[in-house]
Amino acid sequence: MPHDSDDIFEADNATRRDRGPVDHPTMLSSCSRAATAEEARYRVQYPNSMTRSSRIFALDEAAAEAMYGITEEPWNDAHFLTLAARGKVSPDTRPEDLPLSRPDGAAASLLDEIEGADVVVLLASDGTSEGAAEVIARECFERRIMCAGLALGQGRSDAAVATVVNSMRRFARVLVVAQDDDFIPAMLTALRA
Amino acid sequence: MLRKEVNDLLTQTDPGTTMGEMFRQYWIPALLARELPEDDCPPVRVKLLGERLIAFRDSKGRYGLMDEFCAHRGVSLWFGRNEEGGLRCPYHGWKYDVNGQCIEVPSEPEESGFCEKIKLKAYPLIKVGDVLWTHMGDKENRPPEPEWEFATVPEDQTYTSKRWQECNWLQAMEGGIDSSHVSFLHSGGLKSDPLFKGAKGNQYNANDKKPVFEVTESDGGLFIGARRMAEEGHYYWRITPWVMPSFTMVPPRGDHPVHGHFWVPIDDYNCWAWSFDYHPTRPLTPEELQAMKDGYGVHNKYESEDSFRPLQNKDNDYLMDRAAQKSGESYSGIWGIAMQDASLQESMGPVVDRTRENLVSTDNGIIMARHRLRKAAIALRDKGVQPPGRTTEHQMVRSAAKVLPDDQPFKDAMAEDLTVRPGVKQTSV
Repeated sequence: MPHDSDDIFEADNATRRDRGPVDHPTMLSSCSRAATAEEARYRVQYPNSMTRSSRIFALDEAAAEAMYGITEEPWNDAHFLTLAARGKVSPDTRPEDLPLSRPDGAAASLLDEIEGADVVVLLASDGTSEGAAEVIARECFERRIMCAGLALGQGRSDAAVATVVNSMRRFARVLVVAQDDDFIPAMLTALRA
Repeated sequence: MLRKEVNDLLTQTDPGTTMGEMFRQYWIPALLARELPEDDCPPVRVKLLGERLIAFRDSKGRYGLMDEFCAHRGVSLWFGRNEEGGLRCPYHGWKYDVNGQCIEVPSEPEESGFCEKIKLKAYPLIKVGDVLWTHMGDKENRPPEPEWEFATVPEDQTYTSKRWQECNWLQAMEGGIDSSHVSFLHSGGLKSDPLFKGAKGNQYNANDKKPVFEVTESDGGLFIGARRMAEEGHYYWRITPWVMPSFTMVPPRGDHPVHGHFWVPIDDYNCWAWSFDYHPTRPLTPEELQAMKDGYGVHNKYESEDSFRPLQNKDNDYLMDRAAQKSGESYSGIWGIAMQDASLQESMGPVVDRTRENLVSTDNGIIMARHRLRKAAIALRDKGVQPPGRTTEHQMVRSAAKVLPDDQPFKDAMAEDLTVRPGVKQTSV
């Protein structure tokens, strides 16, 4: 289509004439009919997706606190994990050595947890977790797993939030800064976690 | 995915609905000023937020927006005579002023004062820029008059159009904050559209089709940043602001005018897509203005001169061109950036069923916007808390595009670029 034409549609019609019959709207296949409220009733209602496997990692104490508030909700295949040991984690830590635990306190293995995962969400509220984020994100990258970061800003200064964001920027393909912790369940619900 | 009750809450804007009440806290665009071009000109039917209204400009240049139907027998005042300071119903001569007050009932004795007992619901209608704005909420909670930059720059620096979009406002608005579709749906337009092409930033777009997103809250809404690879050690950032409830801007390209939108519900199945272009520091060139009027950029062509229905619409299958689609000249086969969006959004149905969608992490701008809308609407309903986006301060935002060193967060490094600075050019690549 010649986009620099003064009358693009006239030109387009000429092109169409040269090509022969045009796809005129016809009956059920036309947009005018197909996009009505009446036709919306007939949309196929069979499921259009399978259960997703989501892994949510709280990388510090406050993030874990915020996460624990929602772990009992009826999720699909979401696993909630925290760092079992306090203190900084070296980015050189081997994945099998990353100390993780489930909400009930049971130990968990990073490699087992992310095997087959569709999405990994990193939750952080301070900038101390860069090393752990790197260990997890590296494994995600190698397995082509989407890694999203959620920086929790509730009750924290802009400078503190900036530290969190900077700690996750290198690793997350999507980074969200939420001023309220209630965005965690909103986001996970939207993602069918 | 949204639960049905949340989808209903966000998409329904008639009087008395939760989101409808929230929209009624803002000044919203109602008409183009050129729709009421002179005193005593013909009145115009307007439907907003599920209410049928009539707009007119009286003999003294005052604007009025009120219930469309005469209080006497329910006749549409679109047939009315706009004369001598009011709009007169042609059926029995009842006459109303711009405040909806009945000022004449010819059949009743003038001294009876009967007409003082008749008043149509009316809303203020004010001109800011080339747009007439209305506030459909309580007078006590009226926000300051709108001060969006596109509406306050000199007249020759701005151009606004509107088009009827045949779907719910939310799915239209969500297109305005969905940065990841640009590299696909609009890929043809970046190369050919006179209001987009030629910018250096387009190359970054073309070279990196997997942007990384950062979504961060602002006082009035969100900033949605899309980051692409640039030169060694640098990222190309494009930042889309969203201000509640439905103002979005497109990050600029080169020295082209800056584009943006307002998405205003007509009813639950239709909305107005308002599209503006402006340049903060210079007049639009005749070529730019002509391109806008010809339907390029965020604008569109119309079915007829006096219609706001796009020339490409659902009745003609949007003039789908399968050859252009196949060749890649147009990624979807639909001509024009505005109608590329509108055609797909209308195809979702009048109100998309969000219980069946499968969002992914890169949709977090949309997820966050819905979350903030829902919270603000419920806070207003349950606690009377006024929602963000009403103040002048919240409206002082710009979109921006910039190349930054890879260790600099956009929110800090671009804070000034994302703020209106009168007389200072937009930040663009």
